[in-house]
Amino acid sequence: MTGPILSTSGLVAGYEPDLPIVRGIDFSVSSGELVVLLGPNGAGKSTFVKAIAGLVPIHAGTMMLNGRDITRVAPHRKVAEGLAFVPQTENVFATMSILENLQIAVAHLPKAKRGAAIEALFTRFPDLAARPSRLAGALSGGQRQMLAVARALALDPPVIILDEPSAGLSPKIVSEVFEMLRAINASGVTVLLVEQNVKAALAIASRAVILAEGRIAHEGLPEELASDPLVGKIYLGTAHGHQGAPA
Amino acid sequence: MNPQFIMDGLIAGAIIGLGAVGVTLTYSILRFSNFAHGELLSWGAYLALAVAGALGFLSAGLTKPIAPFSFGWALPISTVIAIGLTGLLALAVDALLFSSFRRRGSAIIIMVMASFGASLALRSLLEFLFTSRPAYFTKALQIAMKLGGGLRATPDQLLMLGVALVAVIIVHLLMTRTDIGRAMRAVSENPALASIAGIDVRRVIRTVWFLGAALACVAGIMSGLLIQIRPYLGHDLLLPLFAAAILGGIGSVPGAMLAGLIIGLCEALAVQAVGAEWRAAVSFVILIAVLLVRPRGLFGKAS
Repeated sequence: MTGPILSTSGLVAGYEPDLPIVRGIDFSVSSGELVVLLGPNGAGKSTFVKAIAGLVPIHAGTMMLNGRDITRVAPHRKVAEGLAFVPQTENVFATMSILENLQIAVAHLPKAKRGAAIEALFTRFPDLAARPSRLAGALSGGQRQMLAVARALALDPPVIILDEPSAGLSPKIVSEVFEMLRAINASGVTVLLVEQNVKAALAIASRAVILAEGRIAHEGLPEELASDPLVGKIYLGTAHGHQGAPA
Repeated sequence: MNPQFIMDGLIAGAIIGLGAVGVTLTYSILRFSNFAHGELLSWGAYLALAVAGALGFLSAGLTKPIAPFSFGWALPISTVIAIGLTGLLALAVDALLFSSFRRRGSAIIIMVMASFGASLALRSLLEFLFTSRPAYFTKALQIAMKLGGGLRATPDQLLMLGVALVAVIIVHLLMTRTDIGRAMRAVSENPALASIAGIDVRRVIRTVWFLGAALACVAGIMSGLLIQIRPYLGHDLLLPLFAAAILGGIGSVPGAMLAGLIIGLCEALAVQAVGAEWRAAVSFVILIAVLLVRPRGLFGKAS
């Protein structure tokens, strides 16, 4: 691992300037890490990653990607800079086909390279290749998540952020999604993951950060946090570290 | 019943359909009912008239009719220029008015009321510049040709039907086969997701304004050529335009055109069946019926 590829300094964000949800977060992710953001409901996890992606107004602080200040960069420019984001819900264009979703994702590439990029995505996600003309809205929850991740990976981004990719999925599909995230990270992509499924997330993470009330409450190695009963009880909603039910 | 109502309805429907394509695109992407859209038809017609007049002044040969039509080369040339000018007018209205409301996250009703204001201002400006006296692209008389089945149409009318058909096919292909078309559909469905998928949403909005205005300009010129040019030309078509956009299904380009033709035919049928004074009520009845029975229209997607 090398230096930070993504960092925030004193980040304050929220939908209303006088009601910040993220209240001054100093945070960094090193290249190649898989960092999981945990915390109770309302801790500000989703707002934090949406602010990084450019979907929530930032009121103070700075944000750097690969050494470049991207605090005021428009969301579509952040994609071109190499920051991919997969929202928790409504993460595909439901009225468009699988192929059209991917065509949108590769639109930043030169035309000559788009076909190969889409073929590479179909090779990586063979379930999507079976019927590329199928409407994204007709896909199962797991397939939608695959398509959303494929869309995010289309430009080979160095960093991908996922907001609760396991939400609403069956246990079998959840394990497939986490295996996919592990493989993405193993291919060299830095992953920042917001999750409520504490056990599964800690199992694949290289580092874990716990947010509470819009600030970082704890951070450390997954095994340290998982074995700390106080952390588990107060912040993760588990009685005995990660052995309890998902938060 | 005289079958000529079919041809009259198709011609009126082509104008309504073309205008409704602009309405459906702007409504689905900008997410408010732009009641100033009708003025873009009027402005398009008057801008073409002004440019055609200037071209005729520079070269009298450009006004000589191109057989079998009633107009000279000045009109096609001025149409191209007027499309650009009407597009710029729409972008200027957006930059001066609607973009500031979007930045503030204003409620839809504020955007709608602002569009009423813009409509009034644009129409008043037209009356100030051109007066409210009717104007014409050409005063040459055309004899309607027999088409069979009791139908008749002038060469101008047939050309306008062809222009409307070609315009709708081009817009449909643009929406389904090109990057900007897919981007427009993506922004229409989910602007936030579109932005993190790498789409420049502001560029898409500018494109939609320009495209909607371009289609309005063509519809206005068609109306001006086949009937007459008046400052209220677009305003009087506003209800049929919205009825067609809603009947076709918001966001559907072929739907808007088909619905425009349906409304045009219904209006022409009503003129024959119950009298011309009921023509304006047809769009209103269709609009209410669609909203009650099938709010998503013929080709709209369920929300």
